[in-house]
Amino acid sequence: MIKQIQAFLISLAIATFLLVTHTTATNLIWLSSINMPVDFGVVVSTMATDLVGMNSRGAFPAIGLIFVGLLIAFIAARIISIWSSLNKAYLYALAGGAALLAIVVLMPLAFYHLDLIAGARTLGGKVYLALAGMIAGYYFGGHPKKGGFQ
Amino acid sequence: MKLINLRFVCASLLFCSGLVVGDGDLETNIDHIEYETLAEGLDHPWSMTFISDNEMLLTELSGNLRRVSNGVLNPTPITGVPEVLFAGQGGLSEVLADPDFANNGLLYLSFSASDAEQPKLNRLNVIQARLEGNALVDHKTIFQSDPPRKTAAHYGARLGFLPDGTLLITSGDGFNYREKAQVLDNHFGKILRLNTDGTIPADNPFVSNSKGALPEIWSYGHRNLQGLAIADDGTVFEHEHGPQGGDELNLIAPGKNYGWPAITYGVDYSGAMISPFTEQPGMEQPLKYWVPSIAPSSMMFYRGDMFPAWKGSLFMSALVPGDVRRLELQDNKVINEEILFTEFGRIRNIIAAPDGSLLLVTDGDNGKLIRVSRNRKEL
Repeated sequence: MIKQIQAFLISLAIATFLLVTHTTATNLIWLSSINMPVDFGVVVSTMATDLVGMNSRGAFPAIGLIFVGLLIAFIAARIISIWSSLNKAYLYALAGGAALLAIVVLMPLAFYHLDLIAGARTLGGKVYLALAGMIAGYYFGGHPKKGGFQ
Repeated sequence: MKLINLRFVCASLLFCSGLVVGDGDLETNIDHIEYETLAEGLDHPWSMTFISDNEMLLTELSGNLRRVSNGVLNPTPITGVPEVLFAGQGGLSEVLADPDFANNGLLYLSFSASDAEQPKLNRLNVIQARLEGNALVDHKTIFQSDPPRKTAAHYGARLGFLPDGTLLITSGDGFNYREKAQVLDNHFGKILRLNTDGTIPADNPFVSNSKGALPEIWSYGHRNLQGLAIADDGTVFEHEHGPQGGDELNLIAPGKNYGWPAITYGVDYSGAMISPFTEQPGMEQPLKYWVPSIAPSSMMFYRGDMFPAWKGSLFMSALVPGDVRRLELQDNKVINEEILFTEFGRIRNIIAAPDGSLLLVTDGDNGKLIRVSRNRKEL
């Protein structure tokens, strides 16, 4: 059980890290494209600030949102796994991807189409974040070795 | 509602020593002010304009244009208002009387409306219409924002006349489209300048630009511009909502870039940095900014006689936590800020009446129209 919690927390950290750094990268790439002075120091400091900021000072903590999303998705995957013969790592990867996709697709519906996660404003951004969820889910499905919730 | 309390004693002592409203360098003595609620139950009131000494018009975001005569709200809305998209921050926004309204009866209205060809998208619209009796007639669309947007937020939608009779329109960044505020081929995050018939003045800053800039653009790099005040000498002041922090008061000059979102003093609602930069060559700095946000909602210069100490001050209504900011300016710099009228909650709009009293409307579906005047006992 402790190993499962550990695996869940690591998968949560993976998804949160990928979401936050994607938002940071989205903003900095655009700033760089209009010739703002984005150098390595700016990248590192902005990334560090966002990792703290998006999990503490926003209207919603990113890690809390992802925690709820992954928890629901992984429980659903565990239930499905009773009947499914799909490799658990792949099943949890799908669940993780669905969780993040749901977050970035459903949130705007509640806020007049406003994308509160800047990195999710484009289709490419949404696909990337779904992939981030899949990576987090894949990790969880493969750890501990038997995979996912047992 | 009269404010009578223990502070009145102190105020009286100050009055005897001359330290009262009337001394420009001192803060306002609120015991000399009285408030009167003229109307309640307004549906998201947004804007007001006087059309004569004793008559004004008021918009409700839900799509109603209301008339207030001698301080009494006419229960019957004015007819002929176009259908608006009342959603999110959208709806019937600004009403502005033509400088020659007494002779031509013309009004200018800004509102959000669904796009005719793509109903899931919407645009900011500005029309000119003539008020005839209790109806708007002779409608003419003079502006439609382009491209249309999916979001129902950040319209800007404030209007103002320059001394030369041209019309300024604020057009917000649409929330999801903030980067477009830095690009001149669209209306997101811009101030636009038009003639009142919708044509483009020949002396606009980008008229002769060959790089695809829209000729109606007056300034750019703005977010959600909901305050516009024009001084007697034509100096244009604008305020805009920042995200979390970074609300700005700007002095607008034609052709200038005000930086959003490349430079900002605010952070995103997600907590992410929108930009790590607060200044950059070629981008204008605000005269003043607020962190945390006060959510400025309208702005005007006070030119009345009822409160001599306030003459020349810039008044800004604010939604968070809900008050009015009186800003004293010297050489176009803010030298003092005073917080007034904190007891009413979110204040959506403030204007001055011809008699010098102030009129406020509170935000929401039970909006109030409140008159602020000098305590009659003091007159």
